[in-house]
Amino acid sequence: MRLDARTLLRHETVLAALVVVTFVVLANQSDRFFTAANLLNQGRFMAEVGLVALTMTFVIVTGGIDLSVGSILGFAAILVGVLWKKAGLPLPVAMGLAVGAAGVAGLTNGLIITRFKVPPLIATLATLALFRGLAEGISESRSVRGYPEWFYTLGQGEAAGVPVQVWVLAGAALVAAFVLERTTFGRATYVTGASETAARFSGVAVDRTKLLVYTASGLAAGLAAVILVSRVSTTRSDMGTGLELDVITAVVLGGTSIFGGKGTIAGTLLGLVLIQALRNGLALAGVKGDGTIVVIGAVLILTILVSNLFGRGGDG
Amino acid sequence: MPSVVELSDITKSFEGVTALKGVSFDVREGEVHALLGENGAGKSTLIRIIAGSHLPDAGVLRVSGEPVRFGSPRDARRRGIATIYQELLLFPELTVAENVFLGNAPRTRLGSLDWAAMRARARALLDSLDSPDLSVDAKVGGLSVANRQRVEIAKALSQDPRVLVMDEPTASLAQADVDRLLAVVRRLRERGVAVVYVSHRLAEVFAIADRVTVLRDGAAVGTRAISEVTEASLVSMMVGRPVDQLFPKGQTELGRTMLEVRGLSSRDGVRDVSFSVKAGEILGIAGLVGSGRTELALAIFGIAPATAGEILVDGKPVRIDGPRRARDLGIAYVPEDRGQQGLVRSHTIRENVTLAVLDRVARAGILDRAEETRRAREAIERFRIRARGPEQLARQLSGGNQQKVVLAKWLGAEPRILILDEPTRGIDVGAKAEVHALMSDLARQGLAIVMISSELPEVLGMSDRVLVMNRGRLVGEFDRAHATADAVGAAMTRAPREGAA
Amino acid sequence: MSESSLARARPLRAPARLARAFEAYGQELVVLGALVVLMAVVGAVNPRYLSDTNLVSIFAGNAYIAVAAIGMSLVIISGNIDVSVGSLIGVLGTIAGTLAVGGHSRWVAWLVPIAAGVAVNAVLGALVAYARIPSIVVTLGAMSILRGGLISATSGAWISDLPGDFLIAQKRFLGVPSPFWFAAVLTVIVAIWMRHGAFGRSIYAVGGNADAARAAGIRTKETIVAVFAIHGFFAGVAAILFCTQLQVIQSTVPPNLELNVITASVIGGVSILGGTGTVVGSTLAALLFAAIASALIFLDISAYWLRAVLGLMILATVLADMARRRRTI
Repeated sequence: MRLDARTLLRHETVLAALVVVTFVVLANQSDRFFTAANLLNQGRFMAEVGLVALTMTFVIVTGGIDLSVGSILGFAAILVGVLWKKAGLPLPVAMGLAVGAAGVAGLTNGLIITRFKVPPLIATLATLALFRGLAEGISESRSVRGYPEWFYTLGQGEAAGVPVQVWVLAGAALVAAFVLERTTFGRATYVTGASETAARFSGVAVDRTKLLVYTASGLAAGLAAVILVSRVSTTRSDMGTGLELDVITAVVLGGTSIFGGKGTIAGTLLGLVLIQALRNGLALAGVKGDGTIVVIGAVLILTILVSNLFGRGGDG
Repeated sequence: MPSVVELSDITKSFEGVTALKGVSFDVREGEVHALLGENGAGKSTLIRIIAGSHLPDAGVLRVSGEPVRFGSPRDARRRGIATIYQELLLFPELTVAENVFLGNAPRTRLGSLDWAAMRARARALLDSLDSPDLSVDAKVGGLSVANRQRVEIAKALSQDPRVLVMDEPTASLAQADVDRLLAVVRRLRERGVAVVYVSHRLAEVFAIADRVTVLRDGAAVGTRAISEVTEASLVSMMVGRPVDQLFPKGQTELGRTMLEVRGLSSRDGVRDVSFSVKAGEILGIAGLVGSGRTELALAIFGIAPATAGEILVDGKPVRIDGPRRARDLGIAYVPEDRGQQGLVRSHTIRENVTLAVLDRVARAGILDRAEETRRAREAIERFRIRARGPEQLARQLSGGNQQKVVLAKWLGAEPRILILDEPTRGIDVGAKAEVHALMSDLARQGLAIVMISSELPEVLGMSDRVLVMNRGRLVGEFDRAHATADAVGAAMTRAPREGAA
Repeated sequence: MSESSLARARPLRAPARLARAFEAYGQELVVLGALVVLMAVVGAVNPRYLSDTNLVSIFAGNAYIAVAAIGMSLVIISGNIDVSVGSLIGVLGTIAGTLAVGGHSRWVAWLVPIAAGVAVNAVLGALVAYARIPSIVVTLGAMSILRGGLISATSGAWISDLPGDFLIAQKRFLGVPSPFWFAAVLTVIVAIWMRHGAFGRSIYAVGGNADAARAAGIRTKETIVAVFAIHGFFAGVAAILFCTQLQVIQSTVPPNLELNVITASVIGGVSILGGTGTVVGSTLAALLFAAIASALIFLDISAYWLRAVLGLMILATVLADMARRRRTI
């Protein structure tokens, strides 16, 4: 819940103001920016990062991190294609299994972290390689195409004029916000990040909380994978590379402390919007894709730098 | 006699809380100057200023008459000030010799580290501390707490200091070791070293100090020669009023046996422990640091589960594999380490008070904020917690009030068995009395209370029965009539007989 | 000092010394053993594995990873991590190539990138030490900045027509390719310096317990900046060795490189919790990994599984490390 209402509110209001300012600046720079078509399209692009950012908020609030989300996404994406094309399973089943496998991947992360007490940084760095390797090995770098029409509605379709995945993201965000702020599970998440020892000593199910949080992270990556495949109409083993950077930047920009114990879904959403707006603005200004990752990297460092300057590092 | 270190009118604040107000303090060559005061009185801050870790906001620090400004602990070390802190600052993966000489290792003519000289000198230092069985090549991580403290002392001595600041140096030592340490301090005094000796233990202060300064609430209450004070006058300076009876354990009618432990052993070192506690009874567990008392509590509470033996709650055998299960069985544990284990310092009083009963302040997993706030307000009132309200952050409370929050948390779980681990450590005398009164009250209401404490007066004053542990085993059991300071103290250092209960 | 204490300080007798050495260097010996076993087994299955050209390719061709791992080990021992080293090496290699074909002397082409590596990493170290930003975040950001910057600046073009005398990795001394010498000599120098130099010990201290290090008078912030700067030096040397192996320089960042380097350090015994490990171990591990990669090819296993193997190796090593730690502390 609002741990330090005034401070948190201050960060989010600043962020909201930043978003507004950015929109105004970008609208001025290019008249293509502030059109319904463009904004909705950006919403489309945002959905994959957004879903994973929602669960990453939980992960980072517990004091952990998940660097393997991009690899899990790639792994799930490959599974969709391979299970459908090579194993001949019906597409809905393939999708379900792929998301399920992503969840298992997340669970594996959780087990390594809770059972074997490996620091999340290292555990997910290793699984980043492992899952990407599995994706490469299974796919043998061949891509799968030719999905049925209905499949593309998820990633390319609309409902009431708004892209389908934006609805999905919105619904997921509402659920995530509710869980984080209003439920015992959300409280357990905050406490685990604020002081894991005190949480354990108070009977809070710390390990179970972590397991659930990392599994959710995997599931989100799996769902994002399905949406991505549907959006670009193909599966490739390098999908999701670099996803962790975008996701972590959005979460941290949104006010979640990298040390754990603090953070909100609203903040993450604002961070997400800001980053996507930045990307869009740069693209409209003619900067190529590789240039934007330079900016994102810089934003990540600057965000924490500024936040530290205002004295909000770690637990008091 | 000239002062080696002199602090004049020192003031220091943190985050708006004033830790020291206009404090003046000095220590002379060849003197042991004791620094007394309850926790929160400012002792830690004062020694950190001497050690160079903090800069005062106002006032002057002088070394040998010259005003100085220590930008870092390094500057203080260069001036000959060595500090031994309560929290041991050692590197578990390095050896004893390396730890002793870290930062000022002997060098060869080539400028590289002289390992032979390091080991030889470390050996000599340890011998002067009467520790022949401590190997200079042992990795510090594997040493006992008492041995680690010896390494810390050797480290300070390796700097050949003019001033030695010791913060609660005897906290983990057996009486024999305390005597040895005092002998070392006396030898240093004879050599002209100025010693600042911070301790809670008045007996030691009277044994070793030349002068004593008492701090209270950040101010220096007075500095006296040791010959001018008595224990009572010192305590009254620390508290601000005369204190008579500190331990109000009244007579209670005992109920049935709530907790029984048979042959309990655990991986952490508990060996074959058996005892029982009745409703309404306060069972004190005495012993030195490292004797296994906290490990015993952790085994019963499920943090470090038992590997052998039985636990019976209200006559029924149970398996406790985690704190949640313990709570469900009606067992509560108020830990020794309040800041790390007892509280979530960055959370509010409300969030801390409900932490052990989250499922009971929620419906279908959804938290009932109103119920939480109600419980928090109730706790603040019942325990007289001095705070602005339920939304105040735990870290802003004083030690005594923090302890009350922890107690409130566990009492909110309605336990039948309450295990308290050093319940009054580091809290002011006023709050101490409140906690003791509460304990008596709870016993009267029928709780079975187990109290682990290192303060003999507290153990002797509050307990109906006293158990003594050493090296993980029970080595003594006394009822109230036979529990005297001598008997219990002797039992604490008695070697355990294998196989005996 | 008394007579008796002098006597006790005399060197340990042989068996005790051996036991102590094994305890201290256990992990390194395990890696060495694994390397020997691997080569024996694969060599038996496919003798061409042990051919001269292949062995040269394994040891000299991957020596640059070992060199980079030296610097990375220092970073990890100090309690931090750097996931941007791969991108940095790519950038520095491109700088070197550009200078070489631009008509500058080979010394300029060699030394400027190394200096750049030191400078860049010193900045990263400063962000970690002074701005108190966790190293994972700083280097994650740096990785993107470097990678994006490289591709934007070069648009993916390759650099070719490199002058012959610039290609140091292709030169041989005493019949052995120079990268091997670089790796071996640098490893030995750093190993000795870590053991006997006070600065080296202070790196262990900072990684083991930063508060205690500070209280012991060690300047933790300066130490961290210095560690990162030194790591930048080794990244620079590695970049030179990497980019001079072929006649052309690809303007992309070698994939997986940071993971390879971190793996080498971790498998070589540098504990990911900081405070322990040696550079000898990381060098041996880099060789082990290169041998495994080559073995996969000679055993006809698809090279696509390489990254999965890498991940499994890190996991296995870390699990073993955690198990070992739980026993001692």
